[in-house]
Amino acid sequence: MDIPAMRANFAKAAATGDEAPLYFYSHLFLSHPETREMFPVSMAHQRDRFFTALGDVVTRVDDLDALVPILRQLGRDHLKFGVLPAHYPAAGASLLATLEHFDDEWTPELAKTWAEAYDVVATVMMQGAEEAAGQPAWWDADVVGHERRTLDVAVLRIRPQVRYDYLPGQSLSLESELRPRLWRYYSPANAPRPDGLIELHVKARDGGPVSSALVRSIGVGDVLRLGPPLGHLAVGEDSDRDLLLVSGGMGLAPLKAMVDDVARHGPPRRVDLFAGFRTEDQIYDRAELEQLARENSWLNVTFAVSDDAFSSLEHGDVADVVRRAGPWSSREVRIAGPEPMVAATVAGLREDGVPEQRMSSEVFAPSRPGPSVDGEVTE
Amino acid sequence: MTSAPSGHGDGGRGLTPADLQQVRFSRASMLHPGYVESEVDRVLHRAAEELSRHVAEKAQLREQVRTLQSQLNGAPAHVPPSEQAVRILASAQQTADNYVAEAEKFSRQVTGEARAEYEEAVRLARENAGAIIQAAQEAAARLTGPAPDGPAQGGGRSVAELEEQVAYLKAFGQACRVQLRSYLEALLSDVENEWGQADPGALPTPPPARRAAADTDADRSTTFDSNTASDQRPEQNEGVPAGSSARPAS
Repeated sequence: MDIPAMRANFAKAAATGDEAPLYFYSHLFLSHPETREMFPVSMAHQRDRFFTALGDVVTRVDDLDALVPILRQLGRDHLKFGVLPAHYPAAGASLLATLEHFDDEWTPELAKTWAEAYDVVATVMMQGAEEAAGQPAWWDADVVGHERRTLDVAVLRIRPQVRYDYLPGQSLSLESELRPRLWRYYSPANAPRPDGLIELHVKARDGGPVSSALVRSIGVGDVLRLGPPLGHLAVGEDSDRDLLLVSGGMGLAPLKAMVDDVARHGPPRRVDLFAGFRTEDQIYDRAELEQLARENSWLNVTFAVSDDAFSSLEHGDVADVVRRAGPWSSREVRIAGPEPMVAATVAGLREDGVPEQRMSSEVFAPSRPGPSVDGEVTE
Repeated sequence: MTSAPSGHGDGGRGLTPADLQQVRFSRASMLHPGYVESEVDRVLHRAAEELSRHVAEKAQLREQVRTLQSQLNGAPAHVPPSEQAVRILASAQQTADNYVAEAEKFSRQVTGEARAEYEEAVRLARENAGAIIQAAQEAAARLTGPAPDGPAQGGGRSVAELEEQVAYLKAFGQACRVQLRSYLEALLSDVENEWGQADPGALPTPPPARRAAADTDADRSTTFDSNTASDQRPEQNEGVPAGSSARPAS
């Protein structure tokens, strides 16, 4: 495989910005019209993501060891869109046509190189999909509870119709019939329960089609479609150190799932949860968290508000509030929230002597349509 | 003889099965029973020609089927879409994308403005409520203010003092908690440094720690009257190990 030539060729297509993915999808839909219905009406975000992902694959194509697990996961994840093995050669043909279209120096050798490389990628993805053959491609889940907690936050309770396994801290993708073909990632706020119920925290993003529908339009009795769980934030099986959990805004959900996991499965350990919000009104889950803290002597919950002069709660960015209450150098630390909050907390705690390997964090962007090639769930 | 055999002549229409079925040969003569030889020969000749033509045509067709079949298997099943078609679909898609983006933008603006208005309304209401409460408190103070000196000293002072005391106790409780935690964390990290890892099972459970804090609180509060919060601070630090990074409560 002539990897430098491939990269040079890909750079030409990538340099055209939106043109190349636009050409690719138009070519694909014209030659295989049945693939169109796997995509949402608006393809704008899809195009960005496709070429970004392809670029990531191309830059790592010489490091197959790292790429293979990612591609398998990707192949497994594509089942929920209804992708069949026959679609892979179709996409491959359109990809080659696109790369040829934007390269004046296209050669048959280049075509052969790309065809081989694509074949490897497609084969690994299809293997990933085959390995999941025992599982459903997606899970239907009934909405059994819907509670508006604030102006724009709702807590949903859903029950998958068949068993759905996940780990506390992971995310799952979901799609609603109200917004077909738009998949978004949310974190369950509880550990797996015997009755299968999953609690989801959703904040309606201004202009966000899926989140607004989940908060304002979905009701009890509606059915959501779930993709397989993914994400790397986890309680960590290999340690029974005490936990420090720090959340900003909606990052609370995966951390609450970890609290639930400690309550259900142990091992016994102290847990300090710091939940940061902008104002006191926005603490959408306060009653439940305070009740949890009352019932469990090992749990301390501290709320912090960053922009609420009237509040009697701790004031300041949650990163600072956590550090004030330190030291935390002996803890396992899990952090979830918006990017600046996560960065500030990680940097602060590192300064306070928390070793890097005991911290793990996940950035919660306002909209989370899909995982990157690294398996990050954020954009 | 019917006209059929001769009628075909060299018409070039080809020999059909029906033609053969309809062939009627003439009787030759009384001396030579049977058909006229020449007629029979002619028909046979034509039939042979016709058959060989069919055989050739069949071979040719078979060849053609084979090449078509191989084209079907080998070459891509779909004719690649034309450049023009791709361009048309691309621009249609872009148009649709723009409409969706515009709708989302509009929705974002409207909800964003609504939220800002909502937050402003809540803020104003809170400020109003604060002002009203303050006015009520002032009014209450005016009502109780001119009361006789004796009770006022007990009542008025005790309200202010109680508030101060409550604030102090809160701060003190917080300080105790923070220092206890610092102490425990320091112990923990000592243990870790010594032994690699702390064993949560061997930890003092949080409730006793809290009770300890509460006890200290209670002790202090009995002797509180003559002290202010700032007086008390230095004393609190006595119980803290020198190595810990305790901070005073804010």
